[in-house]
Amino acid sequence: MADKQNTVQNTVRGRWSRSKRDWGVSIWIAFLAASAGTFLMFAVIDPEVLGDAWVMNWHTGLRLTYGLGFGFLFAVALLATRLTSFMIRTGPGRGHARGKGKRGLPEVHDPAENNPDLSDEDWK
Amino acid sequence: MSANQQASHESLYKKEPKVYPRDVKGRFAFWRKVSVYLLLGLYYVLPWINVGGQQSVLFDLPARQFHLFGLTFWPQDFIYLALLLICAGLTLFFFTALAGRLWCGFACPQTVWTEVFLWMEKWVEGDRNKRMKLDKGPWNRNKIVRKSLKHFLWITFALWTGFTFVGFFTPIREFGQAIFAASIGPWETFWWLFYSFATYGNAGFLREQVCKYMCPYARFQSAMFDHDTLIISYDEKRGEPRGGRRKTADIQELGLGDCIDCTLCVQVCPTGIDIRDGLQYECIACAACVDVCDQVMDKMDYPKGLIRYTTENALEGKKSRVARPRVFIYGTLLTIILVSTIWNMTTRTPLRADLLRDRNQLYRELPDGRIENVYTLKIVNMDQQAHMYTISMPGNEALTWTVDPEPQLGAGQVGRFSFAIQAPADLGSGSIEVDVRFESEKDPDISVVSDIRFLLPADQGR
Repeated sequence: MADKQNTVQNTVRGRWSRSKRDWGVSIWIAFLAASAGTFLMFAVIDPEVLGDAWVMNWHTGLRLTYGLGFGFLFAVALLATRLTSFMIRTGPGRGHARGKGKRGLPEVHDPAENNPDLSDEDWK
Repeated sequence: MSANQQASHESLYKKEPKVYPRDVKGRFAFWRKVSVYLLLGLYYVLPWINVGGQQSVLFDLPARQFHLFGLTFWPQDFIYLALLLICAGLTLFFFTALAGRLWCGFACPQTVWTEVFLWMEKWVEGDRNKRMKLDKGPWNRNKIVRKSLKHFLWITFALWTGFTFVGFFTPIREFGQAIFAASIGPWETFWWLFYSFATYGNAGFLREQVCKYMCPYARFQSAMFDHDTLIISYDEKRGEPRGGRRKTADIQELGLGDCIDCTLCVQVCPTGIDIRDGLQYECIACAACVDVCDQVMDKMDYPKGLIRYTTENALEGKKSRVARPRVFIYGTLLTIILVSTIWNMTTRTPLRADLLRDRNQLYRELPDGRIENVYTLKIVNMDQQAHMYTISMPGNEALTWTVDPEPQLGAGQVGRFSFAIQAPADLGSGSIEVDVRFESEKDPDISVVSDIRFLLPADQGR
């Protein structure tokens, strides 16, 4: 059934596959987040005074610092959006582990039901 | 009511039923208890132990120093942090490839704290059946008292957890005194309450939902599994068809397998799954179902191990291999990185010296004709004792230098000095490479060399 749906979906002309759409949305949202972060970075951080703050002995110029800053924010945001997308797509669907279709919530009952020899146990 | 109106009143959301795990005893329950005591013991006790007059584990963020069992790490040592994280990752891969979700069932903080919160719940509200009955019952005096007491214990334990957590970042004794003196700062208060709330919420309420919906490891673990990885599995061939029976019944006559369908394996499961449905990613491999099923098998005089730690290959009657390429690769990598990290950490030089050229002037000519380059010298004394440092320039005896003030630093101090190198007028032109050596007066083994370029006038000496 799922294969059939995928086939139908993929035959719609010009329509991206779900995976491509996920990537597109993830990249776009990460870009927006990194842009907003770069505005903030531009407003509150002066790369000139960062010289002594670097752990490594780096002397980056203004453009490179802002460029690296955007790249870093974009990479972190992309990691977050991809992970979110992955977590949502692979969430529990109550599919049966043995390929027997959907499985319901496990049923439980008194252990001694139909097992009279368990009646004297502390499970009761 | 029309069909549309009726549909609008029907919620599509189905509330997840609360899981009431039944208490279980057995060998895996014993080891889980040992793991809980050991890990929580380390967590709650470590900040109170001092090594060399310093808190054994202290991540002093304002001072940018990490103290670990007498060793001090600086931001420049972040490579060690990266290596330790790689080791942690490889350890997880190694044990997952070998024994499945050992981490989830026995060592994950979510499991460990949930276990403790469940103990408290059991002490106050009773066993599984009593807890279910209490939740279904009306709000009478008994229910109010028990629920209040349970939440009081949970909140107290969560506050202690949050307090300990902050104690890894601020000296815990001072923090404790500050709480009693009601003089803690806003950030300490925020993080204390934040982590207390996170503990209370995660271990008291979210519980298995974290494993099922929030934890990425559960989704990734299949990449580390193969057919020889240990998993907790129900032996379907032996157990089915399942059904109730008397102990003395002839199961062959009844046409039954060994599973008596008591559903105890479901009742003890902290994530509320039925292991008999096969391997599911909701299974955190706590082995509670193994313990309880073994007890039932004992009771019925059947062989143990209907639910057991096994491999997919073993279940299919094939041979299982422990020593596999992935186990060997993870194990070798882990050993190499761990040994080299520990060796590097314990033998590193507790001194760092950086020379930064004065950007305003490449060089200057002194009244006596000598050429001078000016630098800012930054020295980090990463040792636990004070040092005076001597400076030399091996291989460049013609050069002289001045440093102001004297390069003397206390334990864990960072100092900035004005440093200038002078060269005779006839040294040459362009630039020369200079090695500047910094050495502790007390301990010649504590020394570092900084490479710099000394600039001379282009036409010097012509």
